[in-house]
Amino acid sequence: MTETTYLLGLLLIPLIISLVLFASRWFGKATRFVVALLHLISVTLVLVLSLLIVWYVLTAGQIFALSNWLHVDALGAVFLLITGVVGFLVGLYSMGYTNNDLKTGVFDNRKLCNYYGLFSLFLFTLLLIVTANNIIMMWVAVEAATLGSAFLVGIYGDRASLEAAWKYVVICVVGEAFGLYGTVLVYSGAFNIMQIPGNAALWTEIIKNASAFDPAIIKMAFVFILVGFGTKAGLFPMHAWVPDAYSESPAPISAMLSAVFGSCALLVIFRFSILTNLVLGSTFVQILFLVFGTLSVAAAAFFMFMQRDIKRLLAYSSIENLGFVLIAFGLGGPFGIFAGLLQAVNQGLVKALLWCMSGNILIKYRGRDLERVKGMLQAIPATGVLMIVGALAIVGTPPFNIFISKFLIVAAGLQAGYIWLMIVCLLLLMVVFATFFRFIASMLFGDKPTDVVKGESNWLTLLPGFILLLLIVGLGLFIPSQLSALLKGASDLLLSGNTSAIASAKDILLPLAHLLP
Amino acid sequence: MSSVTLVNSLAGLLIVTSLLVIEVKQPRWSAIVYGLQSLILVSIFVVLAYAMKADELYLWAASAFVMKVVLVPWILYTALSRVGDTEKPRNALGLTLSFVLAAVAIGISFIVVNQIKLQAAEPFKPALAVSMAHFFFGELCILTQRNLFKQVLGFCLMENGSHLTLALLAFHAPELVEIGIATDALFGVIVMVVLGNQIYRNLHTLDTSDLRTLKG
Repeated sequence: MTETTYLLGLLLIPLIISLVLFASRWFGKATRFVVALLHLISVTLVLVLSLLIVWYVLTAGQIFALSNWLHVDALGAVFLLITGVVGFLVGLYSMGYTNNDLKTGVFDNRKLCNYYGLFSLFLFTLLLIVTANNIIMMWVAVEAATLGSAFLVGIYGDRASLEAAWKYVVICVVGEAFGLYGTVLVYSGAFNIMQIPGNAALWTEIIKNASAFDPAIIKMAFVFILVGFGTKAGLFPMHAWVPDAYSESPAPISAMLSAVFGSCALLVIFRFSILTNLVLGSTFVQILFLVFGTLSVAAAAFFMFMQRDIKRLLAYSSIENLGFVLIAFGLGGPFGIFAGLLQAVNQGLVKALLWCMSGNILIKYRGRDLERVKGMLQAIPATGVLMIVGALAIVGTPPFNIFISKFLIVAAGLQAGYIWLMIVCLLLLMVVFATFFRFIASMLFGDKPTDVVKGESNWLTLLPGFILLLLIVGLGLFIPSQLSALLKGASDLLLSGNTSAIASAKDILLPLAHLLP
Repeated sequence: MSSVTLVNSLAGLLIVTSLLVIEVKQPRWSAIVYGLQSLILVSIFVVLAYAMKADELYLWAASAFVMKVVLVPWILYTALSRVGDTEKPRNALGLTLSFVLAAVAIGISFIVVNQIKLQAAEPFKPALAVSMAHFFFGELCILTQRNLFKQVLGFCLMENGSHLTLALLAFHAPELVEIGIATDALFGVIVMVVLGNQIYRNLHTLDTSDLRTLKG
């Protein structure tokens, strides 16, 4: 098998399996078993193929397929890694989570098939965003991911989830209409230069011809793209749908939306930022990233402080963490961008852990409010421990992975001369830390409600959490050379537009080697 | 009348139909007016195809006719007929203020579009400004109208704006690109209508002001 086959397989497998999953309701008594098996096959193959493709990109460079409509370079590989790994672990968690929904009668066989069919379809659209080279297809993939996941957000069909699903779909499709307009403007500009309609839609060709673009078009297009796809990433002030959709979705879907979809939307913005940097210089993009990033972190910290619902707290924490990714990119330079990419990977893993554990809390307590959730160490001790680790990791405590990336971001900021901005960021991080501390202390200790029976729901709701824990601690203590090389290749690409860039990360990290674990 | 004047004049009619989509009282009539607007859009594609000798645009016109003149209005009309279309749509801003804001949006769009330097687009700058102004019309519709299905029409107006921009600036784009966008927009409408129906079935309302459980 060639790398092209891997890439096509990566997309076709979840797509085909999703169609079979939708039809699985007619398997009668075997439905539940067939659905679980097909879902497991889908997420496992996606993980294996993602890793194979990332490995190929690391060792041999970029991959093209389908007349260059598909493309994976170092930047795409970073986000493919997030999608593949988180997709697999959250997929695994889904099996435990839906078991409980079946047990309590919230799901019947029809809803179960819809859930898994939509999950696979959602995974397919996320993979399409990451691997798309055709900019129009990139937009189509983001739109399709939004539309597919809207039903997942509202799958419980109660007032709150339907309201959240409506808000989600309306705000996001409006955002994506902006994204489409920006994309069309870039395509039009490219067509004006290249006169080859097929090539004008290919991102790799557009980058090669960047110097000939009209700066006015690119400036306008990038603003539309940032607002459009920034809405999907949940950046402030386009974030209104985030707390509702994340908190009302089933926990695994919250994890996918927060840990993967938000990052994928940022990837699209980053792809267009490369073009904008080449046409306008880096200042324009950096200022926009710093403004949107700082506002997102500040607003999220403020709203987090006022929460009493764990899932809404995590939703705002997502905005805060993606805000940090944007700030890192806004700082610019190889160091800042490397730190931003590392933050994207790290926050994806920690967010997946926290969302999965929030699902366990919901299963056990049938509520999410601080008043209700108490005595976790008595009721669900394993979840409690994983929740502590996740909370400590997300606020940037050593020795967990986000400590490294947030530390690198602050160091990059100080190196770039943004001293006041970094002081503000550190103050905001203290607010976030205090808020999480208040939540965790209140939820873990005290007496559990009398109607809550001790014991975890099932082992499948814990296994992905422990695997994520290993990854979070592991990446906090040691960044593998392969991951460093991939991040370095991606940051080279973001800085220079050189799509085949893959090199050792040593030179970039050398000045800070003494700071790294 | 030259084809350039015809395209720009038809684009002017898009403004009129957009304002009608937003302000017509019965949502079902809004769906019909949207179909009429899409027919004007299709006419622009045909005129452009003839004037620019861009055969691709004939195919665009055909697919846009099927999806936007027939399917989307039909889906919305049927859905609204099923739920009764009884709620009185409300405009949070009031008619006069809406019109004033729309005029301001058109003015701003003209200023922005004048900064773009694209040879092919020079004669069609008025139409280009109209296409950009449709973003504002869409937003206006979504923000001021409280009927769920009227909000869907707001999205449709925005999407028509993008479609017109694509036709004006990149009329040689492969048909697949155009079909991809149009199909996605169609799916967008279908998904929102299905969700709207679910909301009506479970919560017995189409009024977004009744959907305010989630806050903070």
